Amino acid sequence: MASAVNATIAHRRHYDVIIVGAGIAGSLIAKGLGQQGWQVLVLEAGTGSLQTWEGHLHAIDTFRSAVAKTPNAAFPHNVAVPSPDVLDLTPTRSGFTTNGYFIQRGELPYSSDYLRAVGGSGMHWTGLCLRMHPDDFAVRTRYGYGRDWPIGYRDLEPYYVAAEREIGVSGDAQEQWELGIPSDPDYFYPMHKIPPSYIDEVCRGIDGRTVTDPVANEKFTLKVISTPQGRNSTPDPRYRHGAGYRPQGAVGLPKYGQRCVGNASCVPFCPAQAKWTPLRAQAQFSRSVTLATHCLVTRVIGGVNGRIKGVEYRTYEDPASAASQPYQAEADIVVATAHAIENARLLLASGLANVSGELGCNLMDHPTILTWALSPPGNGPIGPFRGPGTTSGWEAFRFGDARRTRAPFRIEIGNWGWGWATGAPMSNVGTALGVGGDQKGNIVPTAVFGARLRQTLGDQIGRQLQLQLAVEQPADHNNRVTIDNQYRDVMGNPRPILTYNLTDYVKDGLVAARCVASAIYDLLKAQEHTDHSPRDGVAPLGYFRYRDHDYAYKGAGHGAGTHVMGTNPKDSVVDSFQRCWDHPNLYAAGCGSLPSIGTSNPSLTMAALALRSAEQIHRDLVELHRPVQLRGGRETLSKVGNGE
Amino acid sequence: MENETDGVVLGDGEPPFQLPKTMPELRRYLQGALEIEHFTIPPYLTAMYTIRAGTNEVAYYTIRGIVVEEMLHMTLVANLLNAVGGRPRVAHPDFVRGYPTKLPYSALDEKIPLQHFSPDAMRTFLLIERPERVDGIPIQRIPGWTSIGQFYDFIRTGLLELVDRLGENTVFCGNSERQVGPEDFYNSGGEVLRVTDLRSALLALRVVIDQGEGLNGSIFDGDDQLFGEQRQVAHYFRFKEILAECAYDPHDTPHAPPTGPEIDVRWEDAYRIDPDASVADYARCSDTAVYKHAVAFNEAYAELLAYLDTAFNGTPRAVIFGVPAMLRLRDLAERLYRNPHPDPDKASQGYFASATFEIDQQQINHALDIVSPRIQVARLNTEEPVNFTGVALW
Ligand SMILES: Cc1cc2nc3c(=O)[nH]c(=O)nc-3n(C[C@H](O)[C@H](O)[C@H](O)COP(=O)(O)OP(=O)(O)OC[C@H]3O[C@@H](n4cnc5c(N)ncnc54)[C@H](O)[C@@H]3O)c2cc1C
Ligand code: SF4
Repeated sequence: MASAVNATIAHRRHYDVIIVGAGIAGSLIAKGLGQQGWQVLVLEAGTGSLQTWEGHLHAIDTFRSAVAKTPNAAFPHNVAVPSPDVLDLTPTRSGFTTNGYFIQRGELPYSSDYLRAVGGSGMHWTGLCLRMHPDDFAVRTRYGYGRDWPIGYRDLEPYYVAAEREIGVSGDAQEQWELGIPSDPDYFYPMHKIPPSYIDEVCRGIDGRTVTDPVANEKFTLKVISTPQGRNSTPDPRYRHGAGYRPQGAVGLPKYGQRCVGNASCVPFCPAQAKWTPLRAQAQFSRSVTLATHCLVTRVIGGVNGRIKGVEYRTYEDPASAASQPYQAEADIVVATAHAIENARLLLASGLANVSGELGCNLMDHPTILTWALSPPGNGPIGPFRGPGTTSGWEAFRFGDARRTRAPFRIEIGNWGWGWATGAPMSNVGTALGVGGDQKGNIVPTAVFGARLRQTLGDQIGRQLQLQLAVEQPADHNNRVTIDNQYRDVMGNPRPILTYNLTDYVKDGLVAARCVASAIYDLLKAQEHTDHSPRDGVAPLGYFRYRDHDYAYKGAGHGAGTHVMGTNPKDSVVDSFQRCWDHPNLYAAGCGSLPSIGTSNPSLTMAALALRSAEQIHRDLVELHRPVQLRGGRETLSKVGNGE
Repeated sequence: MENETDGVVLGDGEPPFQLPKTMPELRRYLQGALEIEHFTIPPYLTAMYTIRAGTNEVAYYTIRGIVVEEMLHMTLVANLLNAVGGRPRVAHPDFVRGYPTKLPYSALDEKIPLQHFSPDAMRTFLLIERPERVDGIPIQRIPGWTSIGQFYDFIRTGLLELVDRLGENTVFCGNSERQVGPEDFYNSGGEVLRVTDLRSALLALRVVIDQGEGLNGSIFDGDDQLFGEQRQVAHYFRFKEILAECAYDPHDTPHAPPTGPEIDVRWEDAYRIDPDASVADYARCSDTAVYKHAVAFNEAYAELLAYLDTAFNGTPRAVIFGVPAMLRLRDLAERLYRNPHPDPDKASQGYFASATFEIDQQQINHALDIVSPRIQVARLNTEEPVNFTGVALW
């Protein structure tokens, strides 16, 4: 278990490695380097309350009482270290306004959030763990859009295996293989796939049918495929050639932690701790790793010859106030793992790593269009609001030549009814009760209560079907994070200024996705209720009009591409090991390094890269420290992370 | 190997205070052990269910964890019994002893009632889990059983002697396909292991004993050593923590009270219950709603036993049905305990309705009838995880 310390202890000390941010990437790198015996300091800006059982229970309570069940709804508000929130944005007659942590200057809103607390966005992530497809690594060469990777699928494959082990992914390798995502033919995930939901079974009813994508003018055959995920299911005894897998339990309370029981609140929070979070990696930190919370890194300090000396950080005691103290710590290697947008912000504020001029540019997400429908009444309820957010998807639209015409997309079959689209089930209750009255404030005559209310809700909610269609967004120089000293947070740090928009290529992907979803509802005989049009002159957030139709998209929380990797220091920020071209001992790790993100949720790929970087950092340190001195580690010089 | 005691519930017919000398005796002792492990569950569940929602969270999760471990113990003991060619018997009305009842394997006269979450309940639990030696002094050697640990010690010694005399293969003659494996029960404290030989048998016994009483002379169980899990305080000492409203510090010893951080315990946030409540009493009350809920609870409990019986007798993977069965019990309990006792006199004394854990033969038969088609639909014999889709659970 990591020793948590306060800032003064770390002050003015020299470490082998300083890691900025204890999210997914930072925690995995720290764990790997700690196992090698390196002295690692992890500086985490947020509070550490989630590390304890009391903090966990408190988060459950906070979530229960939150009016809007947003991804950050379970976590205490932190004035000193603010997090962006999806509620910061408000649609207006002329577009949108924002009043949170981000400044937004784009034509369209960047409507994703992240969390600054121990564990980072890895606390509220959904846990979907899809590998990228081999084609996704060379989109420029193959399909003429975005940016190519400096490495390919084969280079990353062993690290995918290692990341799936770290996270304990549940999945069906055979199904992924059939999608063209290669693995060793004997490969099994650590755990069996999460049992598909009843909704998945209903959707499986149209397997083998075809739908036409009118944008690419191509026919696709439907097949429901289960989604690999980082949540405990049944361990697969065939894993690692019969060695099996032992699932990790809860953090903070020994002997707790279950397999997924379908509580359906994974975002923001899994009460049963079946979902993987970075806290699990932190629980395995060796003694040479120190995790200091309440430590906001304000600047990375440059030294001579492009080398980095260390970092400057501020610590606060009270998350409700901005009072803070400055400190410094030094290290041989500094690794920024503060999240794509924060990494860019921090390095821009430090005036480092930007010889290419690409730092902060190429901000990506998976713009997601939601569509919703009611399943046919004759077939009874389909059981929404049970199980993890999604257990399966339609994958065919992610691949193939259609990518030359429009952005590819992945169709997530939602298990949580119209929750994301309309705020169901609470919105259904409000409407049925006639809450707020009619426009004049009079009682709504059609309002129902008692047995009628129960029946109405059961009928409406029980048939809710929602599809989330996430579209690939290629790297685009114009979508970017910048800073301006005029805009600062309470501690005086420049806030991220975002400029964001969708290209026609992405919009065409959204259009295709929208049409395909409608075709699917037809096949399911479901009655579609999707509506993205403006109401009373105000359009929904993320609204745009395109080719004479109304559309609206949401952010997927997949911020990426702000310090892209490449082969050339002139047009990329980091090399394939996520080492900054301009500074041999500075790494920027995380989704920010991804030059393209395909249609896979990015964190598994990010985790694989993090494990690969940990190996390289180890080699760098060995190089710096010849002869090697191991201090306090548990394991010998085996490869970090690469367990297979 | 068949004999009249095999597959028979012991109930009050405790084995004499001596080592098991023959295979049938060993099986009888193991059936007894199965009953002891289960014996604790209704009192622990009662304490847990009577905690008002959202209060006493530390205590709630402590008791919950212990209940899950008791279920693990039951499963391990069933594996042991199957390994030595026995037939664990769970679905039987006498398997659930009526409460209050004498503590099994104890020469002491204390009766164990069903009690709401309270200092008294914790004291009762301490009595149940009392280690063989605490405060450094071995409990006085009176003739007869004095602790559960001592009973297991006899089983262990008897088992070793039998292996010596008859050979390992003769003793471990059970069909290994009857063993419940770790796939469907894990990670809430220890894990299920298949028992096929002396080594695994001793390991299983060690888990059961250490988790209850602590690892020889310490406050900790042995899970960190056995399973590489986070170190945790054994049952006895966890109950002591709640009673003392104070956690153990890692440096504390069994001889002294805990000195760690305070635990927020609010004894008043519990539904007080009548330890003598019975469904017959409820039936006599003019408002029969509680009666119906209490019966529904007992029926659901009979179903849990029917699943376990099936799992322990040739369909090991049926153990997974224990999870939805427990969730159902929790939901039924929520509906039950929050009602005042239906007898106005009892209600005026501040009593609430409670589950009575009274199971009769008819309920057992009914439960066995309804669980068997469900288990068939779930197709448990595949390697795949159990998928409950399409299985009507209740
Ligand atoms: C609702 C939602 C659902 C998601 N679901 C999925 C999914 O299913 N699958 C998937 O692959 N991805 C998913 N994601 C994306 C995923 O959460 C992120 O890709 C991932 O968490 C990024 O990891 P990271 O380690 O780079 O950053 P983070 O996890 O955000 O961690 C960064 C850490 O750095 C700390 N930090 C920030 N600034 C500083 C500073 N200046 N000094 C010190 N510390 C600092 C933060 O407090 C935080 O702890 C989801 C995101 C959201 C919002
Ligand atoms: S569905 Fe429930 S148990 Fe499963 S991961 Fe999500 S919150 Fe946890």
